[in-house]
Amino acid sequence: MADQVTDFLKNDFIRDYQALARQSWESWAKQLQQPATNDFFKPPTPPATSFASDALERTLAGLKGYFDWMQGVAAAGSQEPAGDWRQQLQQYFGGAGQPFAQAFGGIDSAGAEGFIRQWQSWLQGAQYGGFGDLPGADGATPAFGLNREQQMQQQTMAAAVLESLQASARYQTLIQRANAQGMERLQDKLALHAEPGRQIDSIKALYDLWVDAAEEAYAEIALSDEFREVYGEMVNSQMRVRHLQQQQTEQICLQLGVPTRAEVSSLGERLQSLRRELRAGHAPSPQDLAGEIAGLRRELAELKRQLADGRESASAATKRTAAEPAVSKSSARAAASPAKNAGAKAIAKVARKPATRKAAVPSPSRSKPVSRAGSRKRK
Amino acid sequence: MYTPLRIEPTRALLDIATFQRKLAAGIGHLRNMREPEYANTPRELVYSEDKLKVWHFTGHGRATSKTPLLIVYALVNTVWMTDLQPDRSMVRNLLEQGEDVYLIDWGYPDFADRWLTLDDYINGYLDRCVDVVRRRHGLDAINLLGICQGGAFSLCYTALHPGKVGNLITMVTPVDFHTPGNMLSHWCRNMDVDQFVDTVGNVPAALMNYVYLTLKPVRLNQQKYIGMVDILDSPAELEDFLRMERWIFDSPDQAGEAFRQFIKDFYQGNKLIKGTLQIGGKHVDLGMVTQPVLNIFAEQDHLVPPDASRALGEYVGTDDYTQLAFKGGHIGIYVSGRAQREVPPAIHQWLRQRA
Repeated sequence: MADQVTDFLKNDFIRDYQALARQSWESWAKQLQQPATNDFFKPPTPPATSFASDALERTLAGLKGYFDWMQGVAAAGSQEPAGDWRQQLQQYFGGAGQPFAQAFGGIDSAGAEGFIRQWQSWLQGAQYGGFGDLPGADGATPAFGLNREQQMQQQTMAAAVLESLQASARYQTLIQRANAQGMERLQDKLALHAEPGRQIDSIKALYDLWVDAAEEAYAEIALSDEFREVYGEMVNSQMRVRHLQQQQTEQICLQLGVPTRAEVSSLGERLQSLRRELRAGHAPSPQDLAGEIAGLRRELAELKRQLADGRESASAATKRTAAEPAVSKSSARAAASPAKNAGAKAIAKVARKPATRKAAVPSPSRSKPVSRAGSRKRK
Repeated sequence: MYTPLRIEPTRALLDIATFQRKLAAGIGHLRNMREPEYANTPRELVYSEDKLKVWHFTGHGRATSKTPLLIVYALVNTVWMTDLQPDRSMVRNLLEQGEDVYLIDWGYPDFADRWLTLDDYINGYLDRCVDVVRRRHGLDAINLLGICQGGAFSLCYTALHPGKVGNLITMVTPVDFHTPGNMLSHWCRNMDVDQFVDTVGNVPAALMNYVYLTLKPVRLNQQKYIGMVDILDSPAELEDFLRMERWIFDSPDQAGEAFRQFIKDFYQGNKLIKGTLQIGGKHVDLGMVTQPVLNIFAEQDHLVPPDASRALGEYVGTDDYTQLAFKGGHIGIYVSGRAQREVPPAIHQWLRQRA
């Protein structure tokens, strides 16, 4: 009986369950992607399915990969156990439902739409069957006659597309390397669990450990000089293709008398420049000027008053202190000119650095307030 | 010697069944879920220009602080991370502390904004926003709270207009763009930004989001959603999750010219700390920042590594410099429970001591 149960688990049940699970998944996804049709229950406000659908696309991409992988693990686990846990791990992660690829494959969105798809659209529009059919795809060739310029443009485009594909391939190679190194790291991490009480006993725990390993490996590669170079090359080559596409589109538009993006952009640049000039040359309003003049007059009157007071007191002091000790010239000048002194004080106040204070922010748990004291200035 | 893998077939099947059950249970919740609202703390519009708006938050009694605090957010993503939901709102917490809070909402640039430069943003928009708040309060200087890229803007602004800023707070702000581990900086170092902007014009938000997702591709694109399955049967948690999704992906495009300058001068040239940065033809010298500075950064920040922020202390001219390391990430610093308890009170207390 026990054997029968085991066989059932290993074979029929697994197979049936997987089929059922797949159906369940598909119906779940399908149902979510459709608008509500239940007449008995309608939300009082506009249906919210649009938002759910927006989030859904992203969500499903990630979940689907995980779900497929879970099933793969379950199926592999139901077979004869591999002799070595490393082989077992290979079975778990070797399938087509490899979640790392899913993680990258699922983040395609409108803005980051695959350029390959764009190129394909462009190729279709240009009525070429594939890259091999493009003039110049096999290398630059001389062009002649009336269509010479167009031929040259097509050759340039073909070369740019190929260059971009090569850059994307280099990028994908690095991603695959990150994936492989992630698996190696996973093995290292798993090796630390080879003792009772620390063993990985659930699919989720294995997945989480793999995520840690995969991200670590990816980060190491993503921060390498090679990745930096390849990434830059990929972006630059894609932009080059796009730029050439735009140029060709603009030429067609010009022939048809359709305003182009370049023209609109040029107008926008001029407009923004004019706005800047306008603001820079903007004269204050009469009200602003009147207020400013009134303020200046008040200030002048006050300064005059202070000056007059100062002269009187200085005169009195000169008479009174004939026998008092001498003061420095600067002090004397300052004393004799209170208005200047007031100005100097004002400037000093602006230029003065605030007094050094110790950081007085309370230290929340694990937060680290650090005062400036002890930090060395590089300047 | 034990094997580290001990996944029983029955346990595996149970895991799958549980996953399926949670998915099935989640159908109804997801289908009936409306777009989650942000906290929408009561606010009034005090200034607008082009697509920009300056909001003054009201609704939490009278502010005890005499000097208003203007929040300068980044151009990437929307400003509502600061007021995400009622129980996770930095703005609301600052109000409750007694701060008088203003916020610049940069809006969603379109092609009409393609030629906006950093000069337009910093010496134009930001300066006029500061003037509006100064005039409303009859003050020469107000307090600035710059967040992420907005922190870099605030630093530039303070260096260029020192008389208009009383105290400066920077949060998760990149200052040294060439620290090890700064993946974004590393990736864009070999980019031909001129060709990029000349080609795309404004930088699509979706493209920016794509790049952010590829910083941690498995975690952000897959593991996060697998974790979501566990909360599908909890409408409240699901709503929080979807609200965050809304914030992450409802992002503005980037004005092309400003993007070009920011990448070239900050990410590639690291000019902010090299002392070679010019905004609108004016030299930006961090040594001119002599105001008190509070620099808050997140220890697990994958977008702005802590060292990129920590560098600020070496370059600002002030002698009153404080830094605060928060245990969390770039987003958690606004919305985590710990952040609610620690960050706004720390900001308020720091400001109060310098009022």
